[in-house]
Amino acid sequence: MAPTFYPLASVSQIEKTPSRADGIPEDLEEDLRAYGCKLIHEAGILLKQKQVAVATAQILFQRFWYVSSMKTFGIGDVGMGALYLASKLEECPLRTRDLINVYDLLQQRAAHFISLKVDSNNSEFKYAPMSYFGNTFYDIKDVIVVHEMQLLKRLGFNVQVVLPYGTLINYLRLLGLMAREDACTRAWGYLNDALQTPVYVIYQVPTIVCAAIYLSTRYYQIALPSHPPNRWWELFDADWEDLWSVCGYIMRLYRERSEEERLRVVGLISKKGVRSWLEIYANSSQQS
Amino acid sequence: MSISTAGPSTPSRKRSRWQNSDDDNEEDQQLIINPVKRRTKPKPSKEPPSSSATVALPNIKIQGYPIHSIYVPPRTHHPPITPSRSVYCYERLNQIEEGTYGVVFRARDKQTGDIVALKKLKLDEEKNGFPITSLREINALMACRHDNVVGIREVVVGDTLTQVFIVMDFIEHDLKSLLTLMPSPFLQSEIKTLMLQLLSAIKHCHTNWILHRDLKTSNLLMNNRGTIKVADFGLARRYGDPIGVGGMTQLVVTLWYRAPEILLGAEKYSTAVDMWSVGCIFAELLLKEPLFQAKNEIELISMIFKLLGPPTNNSWPGYSSLPLAKTITLPSPHLHQFRQKFQYMTTAGIDLLMSLLTYDPDQRISAEEALDHPYFTESPLPKHPDLFGSFPSAAAGEKKRKVFDSPSAPTRAADYKLLTDFDM
Repeated sequence: MAPTFYPLASVSQIEKTPSRADGIPEDLEEDLRAYGCKLIHEAGILLKQKQVAVATAQILFQRFWYVSSMKTFGIGDVGMGALYLASKLEECPLRTRDLINVYDLLQQRAAHFISLKVDSNNSEFKYAPMSYFGNTFYDIKDVIVVHEMQLLKRLGFNVQVVLPYGTLINYLRLLGLMAREDACTRAWGYLNDALQTPVYVIYQVPTIVCAAIYLSTRYYQIALPSHPPNRWWELFDADWEDLWSVCGYIMRLYRERSEEERLRVVGLISKKGVRSWLEIYANSSQQS
Repeated sequence: MSISTAGPSTPSRKRSRWQNSDDDNEEDQQLIINPVKRRTKPKPSKEPPSSSATVALPNIKIQGYPIHSIYVPPRTHHPPITPSRSVYCYERLNQIEEGTYGVVFRARDKQTGDIVALKKLKLDEEKNGFPITSLREINALMACRHDNVVGIREVVVGDTLTQVFIVMDFIEHDLKSLLTLMPSPFLQSEIKTLMLQLLSAIKHCHTNWILHRDLKTSNLLMNNRGTIKVADFGLARRYGDPIGVGGMTQLVVTLWYRAPEILLGAEKYSTAVDMWSVGCIFAELLLKEPLFQAKNEIELISMIFKLLGPPTNNSWPGYSSLPLAKTITLPSPHLHQFRQKFQYMTTAGIDLLMSLLTYDPDQRISAEEALDHPYFTESPLPKHPDLFGSFPSAAAGEKKRKVFDSPSAPTRAADYKLLTDFDM
């Protein structure tokens, strides 16, 4: 029996993502990926969707940017398409109507956040429901359906996802860490946060799980055999360098961001935003 | 560094994605693994807490350690992310069939010349995006790769987003038309081979958490080398243990092969429904016609009651708690009639059939248990697939050879008398 494996990005795909080929800087792509995943997460909470569907959506979302550019597709649109698709894959389909409402709300929230900073108006956010006879509903619906299809097509319909939670529990038990509830919870949290990074498309699940345990045990200063020839992560077939790289991806998420950087990502929720940003960015870099 | 060498190796991998996923050689792995690391090295700015470990790593690697466990295969065994190819990579040959789900074509891969089956999905009137049933079908096929499950090669797309085709291996026959066309039923030894293949496919699906939910002879394909392949996962879905809240639909499985618990409205059915269908297929192979040819649910239930005897508290403890059990009046109790129906079966054969066609889903035999059933080790032993006869394929447009007519009498013979008379 030939086992089937979840897809991972190839070296050339990692070397140069389509977005970077289109001139989007690496740090901006990283921030936009994280922001798109946060949107998926927020939508998932508002829709009371299961975490498995949200996590699957985030992984599909991350995969998508190895075959498509953020100049061609908006992170918001792809994010909602991914959540819509992942909910079907995890056998908990969403009502299209609900997802449309939530996406509309998230877009308005983002717009409000920008107006708050740019125009310095201090009004409280108030959601304006879409008009009864307007086209908003049908427009968003088309967007979600088209992007679901684009995800499928560009991922070659190989939408198998392996989530890390079961592996985490196994490893924690093997390491005798089940009694340390704080460490377990923290490792679990790192796994969830890692969904905002591309690691699930670059590394295998055991490596990512080891990184989460590593960060958590370092945080609580729990000693585990870490010197050759007894290094606990080798028990789980993780290479030190890979593990360390995953830790780097996760820790970069917690980096303090300037107000400007935060504003920048929120403004780039759509491909339109990315395109006009690219024009300005290209102009300014030419001048300098 | 090694990046330049990795460049050319990647496109070739891309093309061979469906053919050889697990025969990458060592060299290939090196090429792919190295650059990933190289890229990640410069990233962490902080000093690693146990930096001594980093230094020691290369030595250990040279000694060929650590060895990967089978649960963590080398990274290169994972396929890259590959967008769907265009349907124009295939040349259309002929239409095989048209079902409710879509049309199936026979086609030729322009690159390799392989003959494949293209199943066009019907997406025109979809209100909720890509249909969840088609998603389940594609996912189930990808998750259940097995010698006796029809192989999915890829999913290709046409010009618009509504044209999606599943590319599968082309298999010459389906068991249903074969059973109706072939002059004599399968031999016991052949039935055993077919059943073993079917059971191992079902076991594989079940261990991968997939229920097929539409097993029947027309969904079992057979090639000319004596191998059957389970096909049409259009109703398949993932299941969990325990079955999730909300349960599953009862609108599954073609009526004749539908398990009694589904008929009686159970919402939490599981692998046992597939095993009931396997029992029906087993009987059909023996009888050369479907076991329960009922017109509706009620007739089917009464046919099942007749063959198995009505359910009792002993044979089916959960019967009375099923939603529709109260609407049915049980016939007077009588013994099962397997022996009368299958007169020429051995005791072991009857036992396997009865274990498959058991009322209580919890007592019904599993695919794994059935594979170890004594029926398969008693004489006559299963026939090697290579020794199966071959048949003309209707799907490939081959004509059945004209039925051999006994030679007609010489035309002149009728006139013999006349002639002789004349001569005389």
